[in-house]
Amino acid sequence: MTARWRSATVLLLVAGLAIVATLAWQRFTAGPIAEASRQWQEQQWLKVLPPGSYDNRPLQTPLALKDAKLSHSHLLAGYRASLAGITSAVLLHSSVQGYGGAIELVIAIDRQGRLVGVRVLEQQESPGLGDQLVDPARHWLDQFIGRTLRDTPEQAWAIKRDQGAFDQLAGATVTSRAVIEAIQDALRYFDQHRPALLGETPP
Amino acid sequence: MNRFWLLPISLVPLLGASATIIQALAISLCTALLVGLHQALMAPLRRHLEHSPRLWASTVLAAALATCLHLGLQTWTMPLAKQLGLYPLLLALPCLASEQLPAQPGRYRLLGLGLLGLLAAGLALGICRQLLADGLGLHLAALAPGALILLGLLLGLYNHLRPSNTASRRQGTR
Repeated sequence: MTARWRSATVLLLVAGLAIVATLAWQRFTAGPIAEASRQWQEQQWLKVLPPGSYDNRPLQTPLALKDAKLSHSHLLAGYRASLAGITSAVLLHSSVQGYGGAIELVIAIDRQGRLVGVRVLEQQESPGLGDQLVDPARHWLDQFIGRTLRDTPEQAWAIKRDQGAFDQLAGATVTSRAVIEAIQDALRYFDQHRPALLGETPP
Repeated sequence: MNRFWLLPISLVPLLGASATIIQALAISLCTALLVGLHQALMAPLRRHLEHSPRLWASTVLAAALATCLHLGLQTWTMPLAKQLGLYPLLLALPCLASEQLPAQPGRYRLLGLGLLGLLAAGLALGICRQLLADGLGLHLAALAPGALILLGLLLGLYNHLRPSNTASRRQGTR
């Protein structure tokens, strides 16, 4: 009987100590983890901009977006990147329904309404098909860089199967369509709200 | 689920988080560290605990250690922690599995050999997966099912090449 009691006491002691130590460790690391996670997120976001094209910390200055519900996607946030005090690009955080769930994109557009970069932040597309979107070996998203709404007409913003101008990801038509629509939405939104986004009052 | 399932399930972190050499090295080293710590903590407790409380204590300790490791990775190496995902938490399973080793004289030597084998397998898997996925463009190698197939092939190759001291026709008959 005593052996049993001793066992139970030791077990309780071990469990209590383990829980206390874990909680203390969690308390101790909470601050650094929040900071590291913020930095990591900022790095992911800013990879969309060419290095040297901004000298502020864009994520520190969120923009107030009006009419953020677009025809195929919706905008979650917008940020302004500036170089020497002049806005060089606007970052739009867009969310669009893909095949497996919401695809979150960050889309960077320069002053002339030209796409300078697009990156996927979150996606739940099918492994091997839709997730080629984030495969670093495939540069599918690069085909949109440099495009504007002026050099690519309205109906050409589609995959070739839909008589559009862009290649699609093999086996991932829905994903490809969703991303193209989100990019077109974002460019259109920029053109419609250009002065507000750039922080200039209309003349 | 009985204890014989613990060993195959312990492979999950290795298969899931070995898509690149860095990841494979990190997860193998974390496994060795966590199992070592768990054994070090359990060693003085074993005398004082009966069989069933010992399993409970082992489980609680494994969970606490895995949680602390997960938080520690996030604190100091955020990009790596993002790549490894939730797999470091599953490292509690190899700890539980190693606790099932019978208490015999060569116990720690066996455990050490096992961990070294795991490290070697992890490294080989990481190298093969990265080569196949990045070098040859074989997408399957980057996914977890591909890792399972590759591990099978690697173990088969090892068994084929291993110098054996019994004639092959005698294997399995004892």
